[in-house]
Amino acid sequence: MVILKTEALTKIYGKGPGMVTALENAALSVEQGEFIAIVGTSGSGKSTLLHMLGGLDRPTSGKVFVENKDIFSLKDEALTIFRRRKIGFVFQAFNLIPTLNTYENVVFPIQLDGNSIDEKFVGDVIQSLGLSKLQDRLPNQLSGGQQQRVAIARALASKPAIVLADEPTGNLDSRTSQDVLSLLKVTGQKYGQTIVMITHNEAIAQMADRVIRIEDGHILKGGDVNA
Amino acid sequence: MPKVHNRAVIHRVAIRDLRQNRKMNIVIILSVMLTCILFTCLFSVGGSLINGMQQETMRQVGGDRMAGLKYVLPEDFEKLMEDKETRDVVYRIIVGNLINKELKNVSAEVNCAGDGSAAKAVFCYPQEGRLPEKIDEIAMSTLVLDELGLPHELGTSVPAVIDIDGKNISYDMTLCGYWPGDPAAMAQECWVSRAFADEYAPTPTENFYTSENHGYAGYWMVDFNYKNSFDIEQKTEALLERLYGNAEIVPDIGVNWAYLTSSADAGTIAAGILLMMIIFVAGYLIIFNIFHINISANIRNYGLLKTIGTTSRQIRRIVRVQALTYSVMGIPAGLAIGVLLGNVMLKSIMRTLEIRSEQAYTVSSSLLILLCLASAAFTFITVMISSLKPCRIAGNVSPIEALRFHESGGGIKRKSKKTGRITPGSMAVGNLRRSRKKAVIVILSLTLSLVLVNTLFTVLNGIDEEKYISNRIVGDILIRWNEKSNFYDERAKGITPDIIAEFDKIDGAELHPVYYEDGMVITDETLSDRLNTLYQEHQGDKAQSEELERAIHDQSYSAHIYGIDGAVARFLEPTEGAVDVEKFQTGKYAIIHTYLWNADDDPGVEILHPGETVTVKCGDRKKEYEVMAVCSMIYPLSTKIYSLFETQVIIPTQEYLSFADEPGSPCIMINASENGERIKEQCRMLCDRDGSSLVYSDKQTHLKEFQGLIQMIQLVGGALSGILALIGILNFVNVVVTEILSRSQELAMMSAVGMTGRQQKAMLCWEGIYYAFWTTICSVIVSSFVSCVAVKNVTRELFFYRWSFTILPIIVCVLTFLALSILVPYISYRMICKTSIVDRIRSNG
Repeated sequence: MVILKTEALTKIYGKGPGMVTALENAALSVEQGEFIAIVGTSGSGKSTLLHMLGGLDRPTSGKVFVENKDIFSLKDEALTIFRRRKIGFVFQAFNLIPTLNTYENVVFPIQLDGNSIDEKFVGDVIQSLGLSKLQDRLPNQLSGGQQQRVAIARALASKPAIVLADEPTGNLDSRTSQDVLSLLKVTGQKYGQTIVMITHNEAIAQMADRVIRIEDGHILKGGDVNA
Repeated sequence: MPKVHNRAVIHRVAIRDLRQNRKMNIVIILSVMLTCILFTCLFSVGGSLINGMQQETMRQVGGDRMAGLKYVLPEDFEKLMEDKETRDVVYRIIVGNLINKELKNVSAEVNCAGDGSAAKAVFCYPQEGRLPEKIDEIAMSTLVLDELGLPHELGTSVPAVIDIDGKNISYDMTLCGYWPGDPAAMAQECWVSRAFADEYAPTPTENFYTSENHGYAGYWMVDFNYKNSFDIEQKTEALLERLYGNAEIVPDIGVNWAYLTSSADAGTIAAGILLMMIIFVAGYLIIFNIFHINISANIRNYGLLKTIGTTSRQIRRIVRVQALTYSVMGIPAGLAIGVLLGNVMLKSIMRTLEIRSEQAYTVSSSLLILLCLASAAFTFITVMISSLKPCRIAGNVSPIEALRFHESGGGIKRKSKKTGRITPGSMAVGNLRRSRKKAVIVILSLTLSLVLVNTLFTVLNGIDEEKYISNRIVGDILIRWNEKSNFYDERAKGITPDIIAEFDKIDGAELHPVYYEDGMVITDETLSDRLNTLYQEHQGDKAQSEELERAIHDQSYSAHIYGIDGAVARFLEPTEGAVDVEKFQTGKYAIIHTYLWNADDDPGVEILHPGETVTVKCGDRKKEYEVMAVCSMIYPLSTKIYSLFETQVIIPTQEYLSFADEPGSPCIMINASENGERIKEQCRMLCDRDGSSLVYSDKQTHLKEFQGLIQMIQLVGGALSGILALIGILNFVNVVVTEILSRSQELAMMSAVGMTGRQQKAMLCWEGIYYAFWTTICSVIVSSFVSCVAVKNVTRELFFYRWSFTILPIIVCVLTFLALSILVPYISYRMICKTSIVDRIRSNG
């Protein structure tokens, strides 16, 4: 089943001579449970693509379908709610909320939704990511790798349709990167999660099921499932 | 170490940095402006009010010179002219008093002005005509002319009757000049020529202070200024020391109390400094808050700068340059608005009070520039001091710490946090907790402005017309002999039984005349002993000790005997014993108060106590009374004439009438319970008859008089508390806005993980509400303390003040805070949402 699909996705920044086409006619489709890496040099448009997949940024033209729903037909407020239900984010800078402890950070999107927490599931996720002993710690008491694991747990906890990871290992050393990525992959498989990750690191990209290459705003390779 | 030329690059970084955070900058510049407006407004309104009141008091005192020597000789004048510290020395020669019988309600002095500036110094320089030159020329105020029934016309002949040290001289003078008389002045001036003075009041040969015959005529009054008006009293003492050394006889001095700084005692200075400090702190807290928040928001930037090799000193300089830029942009605007606002306030004060001497209140441009400079300096210093601490924080930031800085309470790391339910409210609590220090400062600064507003309001709120009026009038109507009359006898006993009978004819008027008679207290042994003790205590004061000595020697001293009826006796508020009206009217008892004048202290010296006996002599009659209570005569019903040393003896009317040969009253208290308006009208008519010296007043009259003062206080106070409240509210807005703007990245991150705008706004609102909540608690506690302890005690002595507790202003301000806690996040959130989430997430991290 195709869980994520884009149609002629284009993003243009600025107007007139300063105009930059960050992404042009990008077409992409992702199957349920896939682990995809988007690779490209910096400025190639991979972050722009990811932001639009997650509904953080609106495209100049084109569409993004998540579970066959055109997400940009939603208004901002509805889009935010859609995002916290269907999309989990993992950022390079972790972006944990400084006043909340590990556990609270993990369940934050669920609580924002006012839903009751599936304690068993969340406990399982926390354990899978090796965070059981760190539940009461605040973000500034965690190492980078630990913080990123919390971020991954947060992304998984609400059982989203897709997890989007933006250079999740960008701030980590290579060994921690390996650990974190393995965890991401393993937990993704375990829970049948679809994961879309961007990176500029070829070695890391190789851990993915499929690699999509992007350059100068164009998807060069791997955009389609069957390509 | 070689000098490194890096100023330019530091400057560039600082300015670039500023350009980047435009919204933040606007908020900071606004707060600098706010502080500047606060200072400028306070300074300009305060300055011109002090200026104006000084001028008004000078008019009342009747002179603008800072100090003067009284009853001296031309040689003393010469000495003053030569002294280095004194300047603008002027003199006038005392001649006498104008006592034409038409002058019932005006007291007029006759003097000779040394020159034009001497006349100007006492505000009596002829507006029309000139000062007298020939022996038969006279210049006088229009008030005297009016009272004499003469036209305001140069050349009018003035038949003057002048009392020169007890000798009456009639002289036909010619009017050579006049000026509009000032009703506020205590006495009106009439100038005669030097020729006249030389003829009728020649300069005495003997020093006034050693002379046996107690005349004033011919002595000089010499007034002068110093370089500035600070601590005139002390300067004058030093001057006397210089002029007369250790001489036993030194002239009396007069210090113009119009100058607020005339006596620089510790209390006044402390109060002034305290006031300044409070204002300064208010300004400091506004700016400090904002700066602190801004630095915290930029801390990653500073860390970044450090990682690439910027030193602490350079970072501190960057922050300083930024502070300077804020000052340069904020202060001029603040000054302009402050001056304008101050002007508008002052204008409305003038209009409401119908102040006629508007010029007196207008601040001269040189003073205005001074005030502006002071406010600018004040603001600048505040900005610089406020930036010290943030400067240090920015300078000392460790690059790695800064890069992962989350404002988590400046080093205090909490071990962990219990898991709780997350709601916008609980997150708001977390946000306040994470930087406790900041929260405390914000709450403190808000509390300070609320406490100031509340205190000011408490003071204003307590002004009590009833209490004021009870000090001016008792009963419904008060008929008095004109207090400005030249003749003491008439003021004390001018209202004869005939006049009283006339008022008694008014249907429905309930008359309570207060009778008065001069008498003596005859001292017995106990009293003599007590007088002796008193004499020992006051040996240092020449006048007082002489008076006491005489009393001891004569075995008697001055008694002011009042005869009152039961209705009046009910108004007495004794300090010792109790007034039993029934017993009082038996005629066996007297109510006593003894008074020894000594400049500034409480003049009460009670040497007679309840239960003791007092022997009173009047004419050749003598009688003994038992002292029932110690109580001074009700001020509005008294003669308002005091001796240096006296005992007031209050006895019932019947007793008085048996004593006095010629009964007379200073005043009549009239109650008019029914047909009040008609009775008032009739009383007024009786008083307004031609040639009458009776003065009518009722509560309304005094209320009107008081209204001016009240309005003045309420307007100025109201304006001040308005400014303070506004500052508090704007400070609150500033804090909330800054909190939001400085956290735009964090908020974006929350958006990214699915916190909706509504939830974020709710969280921000809660933060505002928590600030408001804690501010309320703190300010209610502090205000209650200030109100119950400080205000209550300070105002206890004021005769127009009744303290009452209120926290109304706090409630009003807090309600405003609450409304703003909801409104401001909505607006500022919309502002930050103009930048997309992606951009905001990227902006710093």
